[in-house]
Amino acid sequence: MVYPKHHRQIVEELMNGKFILSNEEHFNELKENEAFFQEFFKVSFDLDLNIKAEYAYLLSKETSENFSRDVSIFIAILSYELDKDGRNFLEAIEFNEFTTEEIDRYFDNSSFIDLIESNKAIKDPDGRRTLINGMARRNIVYKNFEDRFVFTQAYKVFVDFAKELALKRMSPESAN
Amino acid sequence: MIKAEPRTILSFIHTHFDVIRDLFNYQSTDGIITREVYDMICNRHGHTMNARLREYRVIRPIGSDYEMRDVYFRLMEFLLFEFKPLLPETIEKYKGSIGDLFLKIRKYEQQDRDILQERIKGLSHQIREFVDLVERNAFRLLAETRDLKSNIERVDYKEKVHKASFWIDYYILPLNKILDVNHSESVANTLMEISEYANRRRLDFGDETTRSEFEKLYVQLIQTNTDLLRQSKILTNELLPLLERIRTESLILTGWIEFLRNPYKMETPPLMKGSRTMTYAKDMLYKVREFFEQFSAPEVVMYEDSVEDFDKWIFDREVFMNKLAKQMPVNDFFGWCFNTLKKDFDEIETEKFFAVTGLLFDEALQIDFPKKDERVEIKTTTSHLSVPKLKVEPAIKI
Repeated sequence: MVYPKHHRQIVEELMNGKFILSNEEHFNELKENEAFFQEFFKVSFDLDLNIKAEYAYLLSKETSENFSRDVSIFIAILSYELDKDGRNFLEAIEFNEFTTEEIDRYFDNSSFIDLIESNKAIKDPDGRRTLINGMARRNIVYKNFEDRFVFTQAYKVFVDFAKELALKRMSPESAN
Repeated sequence: MIKAEPRTILSFIHTHFDVIRDLFNYQSTDGIITREVYDMICNRHGHTMNARLREYRVIRPIGSDYEMRDVYFRLMEFLLFEFKPLLPETIEKYKGSIGDLFLKIRKYEQQDRDILQERIKGLSHQIREFVDLVERNAFRLLAETRDLKSNIERVDYKEKVHKASFWIDYYILPLNKILDVNHSESVANTLMEISEYANRRRLDFGDETTRSEFEKLYVQLIQTNTDLLRQSKILTNELLPLLERIRTESLILTGWIEFLRNPYKMETPPLMKGSRTMTYAKDMLYKVREFFEQFSAPEVVMYEDSVEDFDKWIFDREVFMNKLAKQMPVNDFFGWCFNTLKKDFDEIETEKFFAVTGLLFDEALQIDFPKKDERVEIKTTTSHLSVPKLKVEPAIKI
């Protein structure tokens, strides 16, 4: 049997919780062999592979995964604070470069202070840097320098999650 | 009938502009001016105010309440630039009136000349009203959208989503349909058709006066089509994307706020748990053992002690510089270097000699070269050097 090119890299990265982005060479291989990889992960590990136009990642069966929750809280607070600051938060997340100093300023002055202080991953600058490094390892952010980063297209997973949550809450069934 | 002179009425509006603006504001907000409000305004400005407002036909009674007459209301709208966005259905009625007139013009163009000219004028008037309404509506929608974006009224995100959807669904999309020239049912399409017809008739119609009316209509339509295209562009390029963004952003923020209310009780996107190869990984023990085992076989290593002392002399620039400074001016610098070293060592290595000659580059020294080719012979342990006889003295400070 002939495996697609970059097979090992694709499997290792996805299994490590990393997003594969459309600007990476092996993304094309993954996209071209979408059916094969879907089946491969399902049969081998009983995992679902989610391939979008801009990124691909494996869906975990473990629902108590803290990292995803921490990232969601991080992006949620950042979005809220950017909007409060009068900035187009979606545009900022999509195109802007953030400095860790800027992030600290937003978090230190946030009205969600209780939530921030109760979460180890975001409560202080060191925790936030560790979280940002974790996001960089998984291709959710890209670090231009030690203290500067941009979000990759993988941020859309979290934004879509928020959108779905809002639609669910705003639906007439939910009101009833 | 109004007995007053037009100038008198305009003068009244000018003098009592605040009264008329108050009446306009009440009617804009409530759709009517209640008797209490009307009485309050009149009482504030003296007993003649009521009589004047009635005489100049500014207001008319509706039951026990009042309303501002349309002509004044429109004037105030225009002056204050405060238009209410009209439902596109209201604007679409022009499709009927414009279409009917156009049909009659075409059908009866060879009949009575006077009625034909009146119809052309009527059509022109309807078109003017239509364009005016579209422009006012687009302007108002833009203002409303910008207000929503800046969120001065501090409406919450859910309300923003609702408002943005409302503007898009009931105002912008239908208005866009009216202005879409490619849509066969749109008003813009009918106007295009009229423009083509007028263009032909302004050239080939038998009667000259009617030709001139067609000419006017055609010129008006060229401008109208340009204006409508501009409005359509504002709607599609600016308003729609802006509202869509407000809707999306507000939707996402609604979701985030909902999530942040209780982030630990909601399921977040299911991501794989990453694993990292740590230095204390499970197989660390075996890897370390393997590493050390390669050195476990004893190996015979031979070594011998060196009996020779190595020369520990290190050139102390400061000491030598002080010695030189005390003896300056020195006529033979290299000779001085050799002799100074000779005081401490029996044999002078070339390295030592060169180390001391390095003083020559000190900025505090001024070097004079010999006029003749005078050279000095220096013998080190390994070399025989022939060097020029240089005179050194302290540099003159400027």
